[in-house]
Amino acid sequence: MNAPDRYERFVVPEGVSKVSYERDTKIINAATFTVEREDHTIGNILRMQLHRDENVLFAGYKLPHPLQYKILIRIQTTSQSSPMQAYNQAINDLDKELDHLKNAFEVELARHNASQQREF
Amino acid sequence: MEGVSYQRFPKIKIREVKDDYMKFELRETDASIANALRRVMISEVPTIAIDLVEIEVNSSVLNDEFIAHRLGLVPLISERAMAMRFSRDCDACDGDGQCEYCSVEFHLRAKCINDTTLDVTSKDLYSSDHTVVPVDFSDASSTIDNTESRGIIIVKLRRGQELILRAIARKGIGKDHAKWSPAATVTFMYEPEIYINEELMETLTMEEKQEFVDSSPTKVFDINPRNGQVYVHNAENYAYDDEVLKKAEAMGKPGLVEIHAKEDSFIFTVETTGGIKASQLLINAIEILKQKLDAVRLSADTVEADEQFGELGAHMRGG
Ligand SMILES: [Zn+2]
Repeated sequence: MNAPDRYERFVVPEGVSKVSYERDTKIINAATFTVEREDHTIGNILRMQLHRDENVLFAGYKLPHPLQYKILIRIQTTSQSSPMQAYNQAINDLDKELDHLKNAFEVELARHNASQQREF
Repeated sequence: MEGVSYQRFPKIKIREVKDDYMKFELRETDASIANALRRVMISEVPTIAIDLVEIEVNSSVLNDEFIAHRLGLVPLISERAMAMRFSRDCDACDGDGQCEYCSVEFHLRAKCINDTTLDVTSKDLYSSDHTVVPVDFSDASSTIDNTESRGIIIVKLRRGQELILRAIARKGIGKDHAKWSPAATVTFMYEPEIYINEELMETLTMEEKQEFVDSSPTKVFDINPRNGQVYVHNAENYAYDDEVLKKAEAMGKPGLVEIHAKEDSFIFTVETTGGIKASQLLINAIEILKQKLDAVRLSADTVEADEQFGELGAHMRGG
């Protein structure tokens, strides 16, 4: 009866921004990104990609509660970088990795199908 | 300002492909990517499923909502789904889901007129769009062996019973309702790497070797009948159960075998409901994941807000 709509889990409500950014008030080069309507899928790939960045001193994410459909990503970097720069870099690198993966799969699928045809 | 790239270049190798089944190897990436692909394939790649049912006549033994639920679970060919609109953000019909961009209409009309029970199946559903029809499991290349296929049974009717309805199918994702999930199963495992300490192995008697081989619940090791040597029969049969390691320990031969999970090598198994091809499911999952990443990019106003903050900070520090 009073259950929230199922789409609440993945549709960003009007007036709410998808990503918000909050600088840490005590630690330099540290910030928290709040990402609305995302979960472990995005949180974990971003965290692991951020760990590859040598200017990132800390990167972690949490899903505060299963019924709060948002994640928090916390980043601290060296003075050579900034949380925002590291965040953008991680997204760009993941995006390029997925481009590469898609291309590699399509080539492999064509190769596999061609080799299957030869067998018949 | 532009940082160095930390991009990876994963490799992929297909082992087997059928319409609704695929096995492949993914290498040179990490578990976060493998798991993101798995999660997206299960719950975020869109398909089309019946979402609204208007029943005109129903004198069957099943009640209206029971039939509506069963209709929702019928897999439909969803090649069109990626290009379709979600009803909730379709401006052509204001989201009531009745237009060609976001919905497909189905009609079903069945009446039993004789003494043999009539099976009402997914084949009795008539679609307004010939590209969106119930999945036909009689397809030859399908893994499901069903020679005399008559579709998926929705309800059975006896003499005099009748069912007439209109249904609207919409685009959706598994996160909303499992009926929209294109995946029957998507799993991945770490590729195991097994080393046998040959020197230590040779200190075992034939009986001990056999005991060791038999200690694994799955067939991972075997004995070569010609030279009596233990060899790895199939490393992938290893279920990370540690049984052989415990056995080696119990025999007083720790380090007899060493087993590692390769951290950058995954073996995927993908099975679909038939709504989309298994190979297409992976392609769509990569595309959806890219769209999701694009959606979490920082917008211009968040950057601007921070710059103001920075100026304020500098101003305050400067006194
Ligand atoms: Zn519409």
